[in-house]
Amino acid sequence: MSSTANRAVPAQQRTSIDQTSIDALQDVLETEHAALWAYSLVVAYLPTDLAERAREDSDAHRRLRGLIEQTLSDVGARPVSALPTYKPPTPVTDSATAQQLAVVAETDTLAAWRSVLERTTDTPLRAAALEALVSGTARCTRWRTSAGMTPVVPTFPGRTA
Amino acid sequence: MSPRGLVSPPVPAGPVRLTRRRLIALAALAPVAGAALSACDGTSGSDGPDPLIAQARAARDDAELIGAVITAAPALTDRLTPVRQARTDHAAALEAEVARLAGGTPGPATPATPTAPPADPTTAAVVAALKKSANDAGGLVATLPAARVGLVAEVAASCAAWMQVLS
Repeated sequence: MSSTANRAVPAQQRTSIDQTSIDALQDVLETEHAALWAYSLVVAYLPTDLAERAREDSDAHRRLRGLIEQTLSDVGARPVSALPTYKPPTPVTDSATAQQLAVVAETDTLAAWRSVLERTTDTPLRAAALEALVSGTARCTRWRTSAGMTPVVPTFPGRTA
Repeated sequence: MSPRGLVSPPVPAGPVRLTRRRLIALAALAPVAGAALSACDGTSGSDGPDPLIAQARAARDDAELIGAVITAAPALTDRLTPVRQARTDHAAALEAEVARLAGGTPGPATPATPTAPPADPTTAAVVAALKKSANDAGGLVATLPAARVGLVAEVAASCAAWMQVLS
Protein backbone atom coordinates (compact mmCIF):
# COMPACT_ATOMS: atom_id res chain seq x y z
CA MET A 1 0.00 0.00 0.00
CA SER A 2 1.51 3.24 -1.06
CA SER A 3 -0.36 5.22 1.58
CA THR A 4 1.11 3.00 4.28
CA ALA A 5 4.55 3.36 2.79
CA ASN A 6 4.19 7.11 2.69
CA ARG A 7 3.32 7.21 6.32
CA ALA A 8 5.97 4.73 7.28
CA VAL A 9 8.91 6.99 6.62
CA PRO A 10 8.02 9.91 8.85
CA ALA A 11 6.66 7.51 11.45
CA GLN A 12 9.97 5.72 11.44
CA GLN A 13 11.90 8.94 11.83
CA ARG A 14 9.65 10.06 14.61
CA THR A 15 10.02 6.80 16.45
CA SER A 16 13.76 6.91 16.28
CA ILE A 17 13.88 10.44 17.63
CA ASP A 18 11.29 9.82 20.22
CA GLN A 19 12.78 6.61 21.51
CA THR A 20 15.73 8.71 22.58
CA SER A 21 13.38 10.97 24.48
CA ILE A 22 11.79 7.94 26.12
CA ASP A 23 15.16 6.60 27.15
CA ALA A 24 16.05 9.95 28.65
CA LEU A 25 12.81 9.98 30.59
CA GLN A 26 13.42 6.47 31.89
CA ASP A 27 16.88 7.54 33.03
CA VAL A 28 15.58 10.58 34.84
CA LEU A 29 12.84 8.45 36.37
CA GLU A 30 15.51 6.20 37.84
CA THR A 31 17.16 9.16 39.50
CA GLU A 32 13.83 10.41 40.81
CA HIS A 33 13.20 7.00 42.37
CA ALA A 34 16.63 7.19 43.94
CA ALA A 35 16.06 10.72 45.21
CA LEU A 36 12.81 9.70 46.88
CA TRP A 37 14.58 6.79 48.53
CA ALA A 38 17.36 9.13 49.68
CA TYR A 39 14.95 11.60 51.23
CA SER A 40 13.09 8.81 53.01
CA LEU A 41 16.40 7.77 54.53
CA VAL A 42 17.81 11.15 55.50
CA VAL A 43 14.73 12.62 57.12
CA ALA A 44 15.28 10.57 60.27
CA TYR A 45 18.76 12.03 60.74
CA LEU A 46 17.85 15.68 60.30
CA PRO A 47 16.82 18.27 62.88
CA THR A 48 13.24 19.44 62.69
CA ASP A 49 13.67 22.36 60.32
CA LEU A 50 15.79 20.43 57.87
CA ALA A 51 13.51 17.41 58.11
CA GLU A 52 10.64 19.63 57.13
CA ARG A 53 12.58 20.88 54.14
CA ALA A 54 13.45 17.30 53.21
CA ARG A 55 9.75 16.43 53.22
CA GLU A 56 8.98 19.38 50.97
CA ASP A 57 11.74 18.44 48.59
CA SER A 58 10.58 14.85 48.65
CA ASP A 59 7.11 16.05 47.68
CA ALA A 60 8.62 17.90 44.73
CA HIS A 61 10.36 14.75 43.58
CA ARG A 62 7.21 12.69 44.06
CA ARG A 63 5.40 15.09 41.82
CA LEU A 64 8.10 14.89 39.17
CA ARG A 65 8.10 11.13 39.37
CA GLY A 66 4.36 11.03 38.91
CA LEU A 67 4.54 13.29 35.89
CA ILE A 68 7.26 11.23 34.28
CA GLU A 69 5.42 7.97 34.93
CA GLN A 70 2.21 9.38 33.58
CA THR A 71 3.93 10.68 30.48
CA LEU A 72 5.62 7.34 29.84
CA SER A 73 2.38 5.47 30.37
CA ASP A 74 0.54 7.84 28.06
CA VAL A 75 2.88 6.95 25.24
CA GLY A 76 2.75 3.24 25.95
CA ALA A 77 6.11 2.82 27.66
CA ARG A 78 6.34 0.96 30.94
CA PRO A 79 7.95 3.24 33.51
CA VAL A 80 11.00 1.73 35.16
CA SER A 81 10.44 0.63 38.72
CA ALA A 82 12.33 1.76 41.77
CA LEU A 83 15.03 -0.52 43.11
CA PRO A 84 14.40 -1.98 46.56
CA THR A 85 17.33 0.00 47.90
CA TYR A 86 20.23 2.17 46.81
CA LYS A 87 23.78 2.50 48.00
CA PRO A 88 24.80 5.93 49.26
CA PRO A 89 28.34 6.91 48.29
CA THR A 90 29.01 7.50 51.97
CA PRO A 91 27.05 6.01 54.86
CA VAL A 92 24.40 8.18 56.43
CA THR A 93 25.01 8.31 60.15
CA ASP A 94 24.14 11.83 61.24
CA SER A 95 22.77 15.18 60.12
CA ALA A 96 25.90 16.13 58.19
CA THR A 97 26.03 12.91 56.17
CA ALA A 98 22.29 13.08 55.66
CA GLN A 99 22.62 16.53 54.12
CA GLN A 100 25.43 15.30 51.94
CA LEU A 101 23.20 12.54 50.61
CA ALA A 102 20.51 15.09 49.85
CA VAL A 103 23.09 16.98 47.81
CA VAL A 104 24.02 13.76 46.00
CA ALA A 105 20.39 12.98 45.24
CA GLU A 106 19.75 16.45 43.89
CA THR A 107 22.96 16.45 41.89
CA ASP A 108 22.06 13.11 40.33
CA THR A 109 18.64 14.31 39.25
CA LEU A 110 20.13 17.52 37.85
CA ALA A 111 22.44 15.48 35.65
CA ALA A 112 19.55 13.37 34.41
CA TRP A 113 17.34 16.35 33.64
CA ARG A 114 20.18 18.08 31.85
CA SER A 115 20.60 14.94 29.80
CA VAL A 116 16.93 15.05 28.85
CA LEU A 117 17.55 18.48 27.34
CA GLU A 118 20.33 17.09 25.19
CA ARG A 119 18.39 14.02 24.14
CA THR A 120 15.14 15.55 22.97
CA THR A 121 14.09 18.32 20.66
CA ASP A 122 10.49 18.10 21.78
CA THR A 123 9.59 21.60 22.89
CA PRO A 124 7.25 20.72 25.79
CA LEU A 125 9.68 18.14 27.07
CA ARG A 126 12.57 20.56 26.90
CA ALA A 127 10.51 23.14 28.77
CA ALA A 128 9.69 20.60 31.45
CA ALA A 129 13.32 19.53 31.74
CA LEU A 130 14.47 23.13 32.06
CA GLU A 131 11.92 23.77 34.76
CA ALA A 132 13.09 20.66 36.59
CA LEU A 133 16.70 21.78 36.24
CA VAL A 134 15.87 25.21 37.64
CA SER A 135 13.80 23.97 40.57
CA GLY A 136 16.31 21.21 41.26
CA THR A 137 19.18 23.67 41.29
CA ALA A 138 17.31 25.69 43.90
CA ARG A 139 16.89 22.59 46.08
CA CYS A 140 20.49 21.57 45.55
CA THR A 141 21.59 25.08 46.52
CA ARG A 142 19.70 24.94 49.82
CA TRP A 143 21.26 21.61 50.77
CA ARG A 144 24.72 22.73 49.69
CA THR A 145 24.24 25.84 51.82
CA SER A 146 23.23 23.98 54.96
CA ALA A 147 25.94 21.37 54.33
CA GLY A 148 28.53 24.15 54.16
CA MET A 149 29.53 23.50 50.56
CA THR A 150 30.81 26.25 48.29
CA PRO A 151 29.92 27.69 45.98
CA VAL A 152 26.43 27.26 47.28
CA VAL A 153 25.07 27.36 43.74
CA PRO A 154 26.55 24.88 41.28
CA THR A 155 28.10 26.94 38.49
CA PHE A 156 27.07 24.41 35.83
CA PRO A 157 24.16 22.51 37.38
CA GLY A 158 23.83 19.02 35.98
CA ARG A 159 27.28 18.86 34.49
CA THR A 160 29.04 15.68 35.48
CA ALA A 161 32.38 15.87 33.76
CA MET B 1 30.66 6.21 32.50
CA SER B 2 28.01 7.43 34.84
CA PRO B 3 29.35 9.29 37.82
CA ARG B 4 25.96 9.31 39.45
CA GLY B 5 26.00 8.58 43.11
CA LEU B 6 22.90 6.51 43.49
CA VAL B 7 21.79 5.15 40.21
CA SER B 8 23.37 2.77 37.82
CA PRO B 9 22.98 3.01 34.06
CA PRO B 10 19.76 2.86 32.15
CA VAL B 11 17.21 0.25 31.44
CA PRO B 12 16.15 -0.06 27.80
CA ALA B 13 12.60 0.80 26.98
CA GLY B 14 10.42 -0.88 24.41
CA PRO B 15 9.66 0.75 21.09
CA VAL B 16 6.91 3.28 21.46
CA ARG B 17 5.63 6.21 19.61
CA LEU B 18 5.70 9.50 21.36
CA THR B 19 3.66 12.32 20.01
CA ARG B 20 4.10 15.86 21.09
CA ARG B 21 0.42 16.14 21.78
CA ARG B 22 0.64 13.45 24.38
CA LEU B 23 3.40 14.92 26.46
CA ILE B 24 0.71 16.50 28.52
CA ALA B 25 1.82 15.39 31.93
CA LEU B 26 5.30 16.84 31.72
CA ALA B 27 4.27 19.83 29.68
CA ALA B 28 2.15 20.79 32.65
CA LEU B 29 5.37 21.34 34.54
CA ALA B 30 6.55 24.18 32.44
CA PRO B 31 4.22 26.95 33.56
CA VAL B 32 4.17 25.88 37.19
CA ALA B 33 7.05 27.15 39.23
CA GLY B 34 9.06 29.02 36.66
CA ALA B 35 9.06 32.42 38.21
CA ALA B 36 12.40 33.12 36.65
CA LEU B 37 11.77 31.72 33.25
CA SER B 38 9.86 33.02 30.33
CA ALA B 39 8.20 30.84 27.78
CA CYS B 40 10.41 29.67 24.99
CA ASP B 41 9.52 31.65 21.96
CA GLY B 42 11.47 29.65 19.44
CA THR B 43 12.61 32.67 17.52
CA SER B 44 16.29 31.94 17.43
CA GLY B 45 16.91 30.41 14.08
CA SER B 46 20.16 29.50 12.45
CA ASP B 47 20.48 32.86 10.77
CA GLY B 48 21.90 35.91 12.38
CA PRO B 49 24.58 36.19 15.00
CA ASP B 50 25.36 33.31 17.29
CA PRO B 51 22.89 33.76 20.16
CA LEU B 52 25.54 32.68 22.62
CA ILE B 53 27.51 35.85 21.91
CA ALA B 54 24.84 37.85 23.69
CA GLN B 55 24.78 35.27 26.46
CA ALA B 56 28.51 35.59 26.95
CA ARG B 57 28.26 39.36 26.90
CA ALA B 58 25.50 39.31 29.50
CA ALA B 59 27.65 37.13 31.73
CA ARG B 60 30.56 39.58 31.44
CA ASP B 61 28.23 42.50 32.10
CA ASP B 62 26.80 40.81 35.18
CA ALA B 63 30.28 40.14 36.49
CA GLU B 64 31.20 43.76 35.89
CA LEU B 65 28.09 44.99 37.66
CA ILE B 66 28.82 42.75 40.63
CA GLY B 67 32.35 44.09 40.72
CA ALA B 68 30.98 47.62 40.83
CA VAL B 69 28.66 46.72 43.69
CA ILE B 70 31.55 45.24 45.62
CA THR B 71 33.57 48.39 45.04
CA ALA B 72 30.71 50.55 46.25
CA ALA B 73 29.96 48.34 49.24
CA PRO B 74 32.98 46.29 50.29
CA ALA B 75 30.96 44.72 53.08
CA LEU B 76 29.23 42.69 50.37
CA THR B 77 32.47 41.19 49.09
CA ASP B 78 32.05 37.78 50.66
CA ARG B 79 28.44 37.56 49.62
CA LEU B 80 28.93 38.60 46.02
CA THR B 81 32.33 37.30 45.03
CA PRO B 82 31.07 33.75 44.35
CA VAL B 83 28.37 35.10 42.05
CA ARG B 84 30.87 37.20 40.18
CA GLN B 85 33.04 34.11 39.79
CA ALA B 86 30.10 32.09 38.54
CA ARG B 87 29.22 34.66 35.90
CA THR B 88 32.86 34.91 34.88
CA ASP B 89 32.98 31.14 34.49
CA HIS B 90 29.74 31.23 32.52
CA ALA B 91 31.23 33.84 30.20
CA ALA B 92 34.36 31.79 29.60
CA ALA B 93 32.36 28.65 28.84
CA LEU B 94 30.01 30.51 26.52
CA GLU B 95 32.87 32.23 24.72
CA ALA B 96 34.58 28.88 24.24
CA GLU B 97 31.41 27.49 22.73
CA VAL B 98 31.05 30.49 20.43
CA ALA B 99 34.63 30.00 19.30
CA ARG B 100 34.12 26.27 18.85
CA LEU B 101 31.18 26.80 16.53
CA ALA B 102 32.98 29.53 14.65
CA GLY B 103 35.88 27.14 14.29
CA GLY B 104 38.20 29.84 15.42
CA THR B 105 40.25 31.23 18.17
CA PRO B 106 39.05 30.75 21.72
CA GLY B 107 39.87 34.35 22.51
CA PRO B 108 37.55 36.89 24.02
CA ALA B 109 34.54 36.55 21.76
CA THR B 110 32.94 39.68 23.08
CA PRO B 111 35.40 42.51 23.43
CA ALA B 112 33.76 44.87 25.81
CA THR B 113 32.43 47.97 24.23
CA PRO B 114 33.31 50.75 26.60
CA THR B 115 30.29 50.75 28.83
CA ALA B 116 29.47 53.35 31.38
CA PRO B 117 29.81 52.23 34.96
CA PRO B 118 26.57 50.71 36.23
CA ALA B 119 24.23 53.47 37.28
CA ASP B 120 22.82 51.50 40.15
CA PRO B 121 25.45 49.35 41.83
CA THR B 122 23.22 47.61 44.35
CA THR B 123 22.33 44.06 45.27
CA ALA B 124 18.87 44.72 43.89
CA ALA B 125 20.38 45.59 40.54
CA VAL B 126 22.37 42.36 40.62
CA VAL B 127 19.22 40.39 41.35
CA ALA B 128 17.44 42.09 38.47
CA ALA B 129 20.36 41.41 36.14
CA LEU B 130 20.46 37.75 37.14
CA LYS B 131 16.75 37.46 36.58
CA LYS B 132 17.09 38.83 33.10
CA SER B 133 20.03 36.57 32.39
CA ALA B 134 18.09 33.51 33.61
CA ASN B 135 15.12 34.49 31.48
CA ASP B 136 17.17 35.15 28.38
CA ALA B 137 19.12 31.91 28.68
CA GLY B 138 15.94 29.94 29.39
CA GLY B 139 14.34 31.44 26.32
CA LEU B 140 16.97 29.86 24.11
CA VAL B 141 16.52 26.34 25.43
CA ALA B 142 13.68 25.41 23.10
CA THR B 143 15.69 25.96 19.97
CA LEU B 144 19.35 25.24 20.64
CA PRO B 145 20.99 22.11 19.25
CA ALA B 146 21.85 19.28 21.59
CA ALA B 147 25.52 20.22 21.81
CA ARG B 148 24.72 23.66 23.21
CA VAL B 149 21.46 23.35 25.07
CA GLY B 150 23.01 21.87 28.18
CA LEU B 151 25.39 24.78 28.72
CA VAL B 152 22.73 27.42 28.26
CA ALA B 153 20.31 25.58 30.53
CA GLU B 154 23.03 25.36 33.16
CA VAL B 155 23.53 29.10 32.94
CA ALA B 156 19.80 29.69 33.28
CA ALA B 157 19.52 27.43 36.32
CA SER B 158 22.62 28.85 37.97
CA CYS B 159 21.48 32.45 37.50
CA ALA B 160 18.01 31.64 38.82
CA ALA B 161 19.46 30.00 41.92
CA TRP B 162 21.86 32.87 42.63
CA MET B 163 18.97 35.25 42.22
CA GLN B 164 17.13 33.39 44.96
CA VAL B 165 20.19 33.30 47.20
CA LEU B 166 20.62 37.07 46.95
CA SER B 167 16.95 38.00 47.17
